[in-house]
Amino acid sequence: MITEHVMTDEHNHGTHDTPGSWNGAAEPFKASYGKLMMWYFLLSDAFTFAGFLISYGALRLSMPSWPLPDFVFSTLPGGITHAPLIFVTIMTFVLILSSVTMVRAVQEGHRGNQSGVVKWMFFTIVGGLIFLGCQAWEWTTLIKGESMTVWTNPFGRHIEDGVYLEGDGHDIKAGQAFTVGAPYLIHYHDGHYNQLKYKNSAGEVKEQAFGPKAFGALFFFITGFHGFHVFSGVVFLLIIMLNAMTGLYQNRGNHYEMVEKIGLYWHFVDLVWVFVFLVFYLL
Amino acid sequence: MLNYEESKKVVFKGLILLAVVTLIEVAIALIGNGHIIEGMHWPKWLMYPLMISLSLYKAYFIVYEFMHMRYEVRGLSLSVLMPTVLLVWGLIAFANEGMHWNTSRAQIKEKNAIGLKSDGQSSKSSSEIHSSEVPATEAPATH
Amino acid sequence: MAALTHLEEEKLIKEQGYNDHFYDHHHGDKHQMGFITKYIFCQDHKIIAKQFLITGIIWAIIGAAMSVIFRLQLGFPEADMAWLRPFLGKWIVVNDDGIGSLDPNFYYALVTMHGTIIVFFVLTAGLSGTFSNLLIPLQIGARDMASGFLNMLSYWFFFLSSVIMLASLVLSTGPFSGGWTAYPPLSALPQASQGSGTGMTLWLISLTFFVVSVLLGGVNYITTILNLRTKGMSMWRMPLTIWAFLITAIIGLLSFPVLVAGFLLLMFDRGMGTSFYLSEIFIGGQALDNVGGSPVLFQHLFWFLGHPEVYIIILPAMGLVSEILSVHSRKPIFGYKAMVFSMLAIAFLSFIVWAHHMFMAGVNPFISNFFVLFTLIIAVPSAVKVFNWIATLYGGNVRFNSASLFAIGFVSMFISGGLTGIFLGNSTIDIQQHDTYFVVAHFHIVMGIAAFFGMFAGIYNWFPKMYGRFMNETLGQIHFWGTLIGAYLIFGPMHYIGLAGVPRRYFRFDSFETFKQFDALNQFITVCAIIVFALQILFVVNFFYSIWKGKKVTSKNPWESNTLEWTTPIKPGHGNWEGNIPTVNRWPYDYGKDGVDFIPQIKPLAEGEQHSELHQ
Ligand code: HEM
Ligand SMILES: [Cu+2]
Repeated sequence: MITEHVMTDEHNHGTHDTPGSWNGAAEPFKASYGKLMMWYFLLSDAFTFAGFLISYGALRLSMPSWPLPDFVFSTLPGGITHAPLIFVTIMTFVLILSSVTMVRAVQEGHRGNQSGVVKWMFFTIVGGLIFLGCQAWEWTTLIKGESMTVWTNPFGRHIEDGVYLEGDGHDIKAGQAFTVGAPYLIHYHDGHYNQLKYKNSAGEVKEQAFGPKAFGALFFFITGFHGFHVFSGVVFLLIIMLNAMTGLYQNRGNHYEMVEKIGLYWHFVDLVWVFVFLVFYLL
Repeated sequence: MLNYEESKKVVFKGLILLAVVTLIEVAIALIGNGHIIEGMHWPKWLMYPLMISLSLYKAYFIVYEFMHMRYEVRGLSLSVLMPTVLLVWGLIAFANEGMHWNTSRAQIKEKNAIGLKSDGQSSKSSSEIHSSEVPATEAPATH
Repeated sequence: MAALTHLEEEKLIKEQGYNDHFYDHHHGDKHQMGFITKYIFCQDHKIIAKQFLITGIIWAIIGAAMSVIFRLQLGFPEADMAWLRPFLGKWIVVNDDGIGSLDPNFYYALVTMHGTIIVFFVLTAGLSGTFSNLLIPLQIGARDMASGFLNMLSYWFFFLSSVIMLASLVLSTGPFSGGWTAYPPLSALPQASQGSGTGMTLWLISLTFFVVSVLLGGVNYITTILNLRTKGMSMWRMPLTIWAFLITAIIGLLSFPVLVAGFLLLMFDRGMGTSFYLSEIFIGGQALDNVGGSPVLFQHLFWFLGHPEVYIIILPAMGLVSEILSVHSRKPIFGYKAMVFSMLAIAFLSFIVWAHHMFMAGVNPFISNFFVLFTLIIAVPSAVKVFNWIATLYGGNVRFNSASLFAIGFVSMFISGGLTGIFLGNSTIDIQQHDTYFVVAHFHIVMGIAAFFGMFAGIYNWFPKMYGRFMNETLGQIHFWGTLIGAYLIFGPMHYIGLAGVPRRYFRFDSFETFKQFDALNQFITVCAIIVFALQILFVVNFFYSIWKGKKVTSKNPWESNTLEWTTPIKPGHGNWEGNIPTVNRWPYDYGKDGVDFIPQIKPLAEGEQHSELHQ
């Protein structure tokens, strides 16, 4: 919109008037307003996610116990269990890969290489779709397979030592002992959750308690919100890729700035995942 | 600014780096929780700071290399990054509040238990329950 | 050296300004074709400013009228309100004797809507939206906002949000009634009260769209100020208005998203049955199975926005007032850089004090200590600003007109309300004062009235630029004195009854033995409120009358002001300047410099003259 101007006012001396990018009629950050807008939008979006993650932290700390991630997330497609964190690691790789292909698309854009841009954007879109597919599978497993919902969280952890009085037909056998902090999953059979009885060290007979509700709700909510960002990213990528194919950005002659902007968004989605991954799967 | 060939290399390096850091994080989680070596458990104060710093490093790398922040004017990166400092106090305050809800809930439970057991009469039983069950920080209730 | 004549000015812009080839592409015509593109889907910042302003005025009338109704209830709980039935229908319950009284549910709905409307729609959109849009391009020397399209969207999201809120007013169950802060459980459980159902749903949707509008506007204001300043307009030569809009936009960009986070969690609690904010609740004797959440979590998220929001409201008013005081006292603003730095300090601090609204909500007393400390520190930059305004006026050759009077009134209100803020910032005192009329008095004076005064000052001052006519000065002064005195008479006594312990958000007090003694005072407040409301109607009449019938502006620069908007034609078209964009050679506050009354920013330095901003 505005071309660069250098001050040429002979009257002006002193620090305030040395020609500089802050003296007007210039882009002080050497970035177009469109790119700045994208950055500041991402900044505000980061605060939205921060709001969620900080709330997550507060709710988690307000609970006497919290499910163990490497116990909760330990299934793989094909009926494999006891594979802690493997699936989510793969998901993370997919997202990193799609970020890398995005960087390549931007680089090709800087060179003005139309077919390169389209090619790498295509890979990025594929990456995004695979990630969404993985997430769909993960959700399905938790909801259908393990009966975790936003209302009920069958993943708990013991708050005292004890001995099971009955088995669940899966991993737990009657007579098996456990210690404080041991994770468990309350299985859902025939229309109800099967809370196992156990005897604690004081000799009282108790039932496995449900885990904190907030766990399931926060998990679905925050990963869902992230997934929504991935989804809209894919849609935007698709539109921009199609535009790039028509040669629209080639004609604008601004080095495919649009690709760069959507690239920023896409990396931001990856960035958010770093923290989602940290708080839900690692800590 | 890097030239085209150099930046292609950075991309490749970035891929390896992010992958490796992620693997280390997962490895810490698995080893520390006894999935690799039976019975080995690392304390949380060791695992958490490690995993958090590695994640922060990943975040730094994504922002600085992939999002090109390193090559932007300093003012731009400051204007985007400085505001996130505001979140630090938010994090501290919310975390503190979370822990406070935890302890106050426990306290209420404890008080209810006293009320049920002894109708609030016996101060002896209250202090017993207090010291044995609840990690509360404040003095037990006396009615 | 004298002020510029009209011709000199034109010559300067022609010779020194620069041609950005704006008119090579015929923007001018493209955007001003039919009525639809000119007034409805318009991307011109000046029209969008007017759209914000007039929508804001409509909302202000609605919001203020609501306050009159609930003030009637508070002052005259026994009075017959049957005459309101034609407007309020079933919300007026008429008993067997034919005496109508307000439905208590509706009282709460009115208070809630009054707060929401005034805080968000009037003092955020109507104030910051109007003047950021009007003044940013004009005062920094830009043809328009960076993205006219997003700017237009910003208004239309506000409009959409307005329509939805308006729809909630006519629901059979009434609008939301749990207070403008929308605390759960009243906001989280649709069955909690009448307004908690559809009313709350619409409230949430409306405010979510509102946030979209604020964010779209915000990124636009920020990038425009950064990238589109004209040649010579360095940051330290921007009028304080622009600094204020910039900082306001930044605060909004960082705080509103957190509110959205809180809203989305709330929507899940409402619609999906999650328990983020709910735990151990009984409704109608029935225990709900929501456990594990915390209503205080919402309060934290809300006030993480809520406190910055009060500065989103007041900072633009501060910017307008700074500019107006300087222009009309014919003196440079005192402590220009101190003004900027104190605004920055306020902006920073506003993000770390939020829990001072929650001292009584069960916040850990340990962490409250820090919130007290940070809160009290805000008094320092606030006091710097107050001092600078007074110093600007001191010894000035002040022109007392509607604009400058309202600006002075702003300072008065800000002082009065700021002082009570310091009371409340101390948690030990707040334990007594929380949720009493003392708080109501505090924030109405410091935020409500002060921000309205800033807005009025701005309207009186820039009306000539917006409509090419003046507003009626006599009516303006009546409006000012009446409102100033009336506002103090309304809110002064509220401090007193608040200190006496009268709680806010009560439907009536006359059944409490202890509060009966304040009946007369409450009646007095209500009478004053009605008079002040009438005066605002006078303002609205003046406003609309003057648009068509006001005294015409005959010169480009009626206030003899330095800033760039007064170098545009009396009625600037799309693109603001007809030829080149002017170049800026000095800061905007050269009033009375070297014996010259005012020196516009476009005028080059004289031989041997020093830059004034170097000495700041
Ligand atoms: C020295 C400066 C200030 C201090 C120390 C201060 C402190 C406080 C405190 C502690 C409260 C909570 C009272 C309670 O609910 O018990 C409060 C309420 C409030 N303040 Fe201030 N304040 C200051 C200035 C301002 C300004 C400049 C504004 C607006 C422009 C403002 C707007 C409000 C509002 C809107 C509320 C009440 C919100 C509600 O509960 O509905 N305050 N203030
Ligand atoms: Cu506050």
